[in-house]
Amino acid sequence: MSGEAIGIQGVTKSFGDFVAVDDVNLSIAQGEFFSLLGPSGCGKTTTLRMLAGFEVPTEGRILLEGEPVEKVPPHERNVNMVFQSYALFEHLDVEGNIAFGLKRKKVPKAEITTRVAEALELVDLSSRAKARPNELSGGQRQRVALARALVNRPRVLLLDEPLGALDLKLRRQMQIELKAIQREVGITFVYVTHDQEEALSMSDRIAVMSEGRVAQCGPPEEVYEHPKEEFVAGFIGISNLLEGKVESGGRVRIGDDCLAVPDLGEGHADGETVQIAVRPEKVAVDEFEGEPYRIEPDMFTVEGEIESKVYLGVGNQLTLKLVNGSRLVALEQATYRMRADEQWEVGQRVKIGWHPEHCMVLS
Amino acid sequence: MTHKRFWEWFIFPGGIWIALLFAIPLFLVLALSFGHVDDFGRGVYGFSLDNYKDVFDATYVPVLLRSVGYALATVVLCLLIGYPVAYFIARYGGRYRYALLAALVIPFFVNYLVRTYAWVALLADQGLVNNLLVDWGLTESPIQMINTPYAVIGGLVYGYIIFMILPLYGSIERMDPSVIEAGKDLYGSPLQTFIHVTLPATQAGILAGCVLVFLPAVGDFVSAQLLGGPDTYMVGNLIQDQFFAASNWPFGSALTVVMMIFLAVWMVFYLRRASKGEAEVL
Ligand SMILES: Nc1ncnc2c1ncn2[C@@H]1O[C@H](COP(=O)(O)OP(=O)(O)OP(=O)(O)O)[C@@H](O)[C@H]1O
Ligand SMILES: [Mg+2]
Repeated sequence: MSGEAIGIQGVTKSFGDFVAVDDVNLSIAQGEFFSLLGPSGCGKTTTLRMLAGFEVPTEGRILLEGEPVEKVPPHERNVNMVFQSYALFEHLDVEGNIAFGLKRKKVPKAEITTRVAEALELVDLSSRAKARPNELSGGQRQRVALARALVNRPRVLLLDEPLGALDLKLRRQMQIELKAIQREVGITFVYVTHDQEEALSMSDRIAVMSEGRVAQCGPPEEVYEHPKEEFVAGFIGISNLLEGKVESGGRVRIGDDCLAVPDLGEGHADGETVQIAVRPEKVAVDEFEGEPYRIEPDMFTVEGEIESKVYLGVGNQLTLKLVNGSRLVALEQATYRMRADEQWEVGQRVKIGWHPEHCMVLS
Repeated sequence: MTHKRFWEWFIFPGGIWIALLFAIPLFLVLALSFGHVDDFGRGVYGFSLDNYKDVFDATYVPVLLRSVGYALATVVLCLLIGYPVAYFIARYGGRYRYALLAALVIPFFVNYLVRTYAWVALLADQGLVNNLLVDWGLTESPIQMINTPYAVIGGLVYGYIIFMILPLYGSIERMDPSVIEAGKDLYGSPLQTFIHVTLPATQAGILAGCVLVFLPAVGDFVSAQLLGGPDTYMVGNLIQDQFFAASNWPFGSALTVVMMIFLAVWMVFYLRRASKGEAEVL
């Protein structure tokens, strides 16, 4: 990774009074796998379309390798897009689809032939070169769309929920293939998705968007472990939110209990109300009586009862009701020591604990 | 299965209707075309190929060719005018789409003959257009507009353009707009994208529109009769004359049969293309 492939500087896009993209600033490095993640309608597609040239920003600048391109029409930009609906040309066969961009660029015939063959090889479709798009399966159509874009060797590849139309199993498989292809060709990918798992597993960096803004941008680990705001914590994974009051000495009072939060940070006045978030997989649950089994000595513990239990096979998802009335979700993995269906009754009194360093303080 | 049998009975009313009102007259026309005219000018059945010889006589061949030429010119003009109109309504009509389509269709509720008379009133030597041109001093004397091939073709275009616009509209509206964006994204200029993406994607509508305009235009007699003169005589006029003015029914029948065979060839060509197109869609 070296140099900036895309710079988005203060970009705003309004449709009439409606602001679809609101003052977005991003810098995407060359060779990066960059994801735009967010709920429906948050402006992901609009952002991507501005990069492709289908929309002109109302305000701000878009740089492709340092060159401003806001006013450059799509066919003169060295970026290619994989459309959510694939948008294959039904009147052309697979080869014809893939060769389309090269023909428009007036690449010599012989070179087109070899490059199309290479692209077919890359997406493992050599045997289907003469097929029409309507004769292909969903996954194959997806790969044609990918090959059709990659064959042009664009500086940047834009992908708008490219796996959205596939079933879960094929989706997982294509995620792995896509990532492998991206490593192989080394092209910058800007990947739009609303699937947080997909974004976490594939990306070098993620920009989480909400209502046209970028709420947080960083590597998957950072966005997951250190969400800066409630929206990010809630959108990526489930988060348990507990309200607390800041006390002196970096401690936060939750109900009757007090907990020292290492991550509290500066600038919180005593008595201020803050949100504490804890990931479900960080919450340990033990029987109220008896030897601690999962809860460790330096954990912060509270008392509660099991309100409901969902059996997941690899574990249980427990909803816990604390004494002060607030609720927590705990995700408990089955281990080699026990099966997930062997424990917990609804209504059972339990001890609940987590390490204070796993508390995320949200502003 | 018994249900299916039951519903199959419903083919009979329509089937009988078609047999009585379509097949039998058609058979009579075919039979008469081998006949001749008796001394009193009545058609008499017989068996001779004389009428068919006459059809391909040097007098009538130019009329046949002219009809095909006018119809082809009409198709081309309808396509050139109709495509942008259909494209605009389908892609940019937004919520006014149906209002715009209705505005196009409503004039066609008026009888074709009446609409063509309106053109006579407009284009005649003492018509509205010429009067205005003379009044404004753009020309000294009226321009000959009526009785020209242009007027006849203009009348045909006006008469049948809706049959071009509607199928075009349908196919443009069904097209996935992201396909056009894909064309542009893959380095196609707007013109290249239109030629290599939009046109092929709307091919079915183009073909349907061309056939739907060509078939009635080639057999039309109203436009040539009202807006044309002796030089713009079309096969429709010729047939009409045989049945009314000249009262030579057997020859009129032979002309009709030749026209039908000619059109049937086109129809078969179209249906084969269309069914192939459909197989590709599935
Ligand atoms: N051409 C347009 N005219 C008016 N509003 C638009 C237009 N395009 C997008 N919008 C609005 O902008 C907002 C963002 O749209 P966008 O398509 O970018 O969302 P998205 O994040 O891609 O959502 P999804 O996950 O559902 O695809 C939406 O509220 C949408 O209604
Ligand atoms: Mg979208």
